[in-house]
Amino acid sequence: MGLIVLIILLLCVGFVILTYNRLIAQIEAVRNNQKQIDIQLDRRFKVFESLINVVKKYMDYEQTTLKDVVALRNQAQLAKANGDEKGRIDAENQISKIASNLNIVFEQYPDLKANQNVLQLQEEVVSTENKLAYSKQSYNDSIEIYNASKKSFPANVIVSAFTAKLNVDFPYWQLSEQKVAEQESYTVKL
Amino acid sequence: MANNPLQHYATSPADWRKTIRQNTNKTYVIIGIFFLMYCLIGLLVDMYVDSLAYPAAQPWQLFYALITFQLFPLATIVMFGVAAISLFVAYTLHDQLMLLGTEYHEITPDTAQSASEQQLYNTVEEMKIAAGLRYMPKVYIINADYMNAFASGYSEKSAMVAITRGLMDKLNRDELQAVMAHELSHIRHLDIKLTLTASLLANLIIMVLDMLFYNAMFSNRRDSENRSSNRLLTIIIIVRYLLPVISIILLLYLSRTRELMADAGAVELMRSNEPLANALIKISGDHVAHREAYAAAYANTPHENVRREAYIFDPHQAGFQPLTSLNDLFSTHPSLEARLAALGFKKKN
Repeated sequence: MGLIVLIILLLCVGFVILTYNRLIAQIEAVRNNQKQIDIQLDRRFKVFESLINVVKKYMDYEQTTLKDVVALRNQAQLAKANGDEKGRIDAENQISKIASNLNIVFEQYPDLKANQNVLQLQEEVVSTENKLAYSKQSYNDSIEIYNASKKSFPANVIVSAFTAKLNVDFPYWQLSEQKVAEQESYTVKL
Repeated sequence: MANNPLQHYATSPADWRKTIRQNTNKTYVIIGIFFLMYCLIGLLVDMYVDSLAYPAAQPWQLFYALITFQLFPLATIVMFGVAAISLFVAYTLHDQLMLLGTEYHEITPDTAQSASEQQLYNTVEEMKIAAGLRYMPKVYIINADYMNAFASGYSEKSAMVAITRGLMDKLNRDELQAVMAHELSHIRHLDIKLTLTASLLANLIIMVLDMLFYNAMFSNRRDSENRSSNRLLTIIIIVRYLLPVISIILLLYLSRTRELMADAGAVELMRSNEPLANALIKISGDHVAHREAYAAAYANTPHENVRREAYIFDPHQAGFQPLTSLNDLFSTHPSLEARLAALGFKKKN
């Protein structure tokens, strides 16, 4: 009889330990995915710099929206340094808008279109924007997994026992409602 | 799009989370059955061995004695040991086997020879980020005209995807990415480890049953009119013919379940079901259109059977037209219609 009670006790302790460790791993996964977004943002700017260098030979750079990218990037860096997360997201979203219009800009410069480097860089820009979007998706996915884990029973009992370590509130990466309305009414202007 | 293969299909909502959850549960059941079968076979061997020591005992008495440890189930324990060692050896050697016989070369950002190769690498890297994998899988191109792809790798660290040139040329960027997402889903769901473990256990079960069967049939126990040992012999004979069939059916069911799960995983990564559906239709159509040429190409590539279950599209399916239910039972992949239905596309009319 005593043996059975002991086994049950050990199983409970084992379960608590496994759940605790799993939640910690999920929290760290969210943190990692958060940093991945930074990595992709940084990479995007470097790709843009290469693009701008190639493109400068074919067009009056000052007349294009590409010069806005540099300005926006400086804006984003400043916002990040000041801890202004919202301002940073705004600036980076505007860069995304410019990126999505690049093909249309290139149509106006046949010599530029024919340049092999430019074709390659176009793929790089597309890929970089994709990676940024997927890293945001992955970040949100890992938050979903963690939130569902910590709120489910019986894990939530264990979380309430170790609130400081196990209960972290991560915001989903999202647009504000005003931004959503803006984006939905956006049309391409040629 | 002028030539949209999906125009013949009606869309309906499909929940990739539900598909993944259902298939995960099915997997647990299948693995549970395998484990149970393995234990029962071990106990059967022990029952046979112990019936020699206790010839008067009934089979059920021996069974009860073994599971309560009154008799020590030595054979069962030994079988577990053998399984552990075989699995360890298989895990260590597995990765070298998958590329056997093909002409292939690896793609990295430095060695990419063309824009399309660079694009392929980019699509894999994008899916790696979406999946939250820690390590970038190796990307290989196989020099073949037929459209196919497979993934291999015991863990994230040793993961690889391989894709034929035919597939690269005939799919657009999104469809290519959907195929890569399917393959990466196999990797992150640890399907390779799972199917390897299940098939190894199935093989061990069949081997042990064979040894038991021949031992029981040809040992010198004919002299006794012992009813209990005859009963045991009957059990052994029935099990020896029944269990291999059950094992194979279970294995194939497991393979089909994991394929559907990988399809749902691809939808999860891309957040869209159209590219994968289009890719599957294109691949299937391509195989049917070039059936003889591809059959020859597959036949001429050595060690093709190693890859057969791992491919995204089963080459044998192109050969069968009306799929009977018996054929479905013995297939490693669900039919095209079944996969499209799971993705949310039902054929109209």
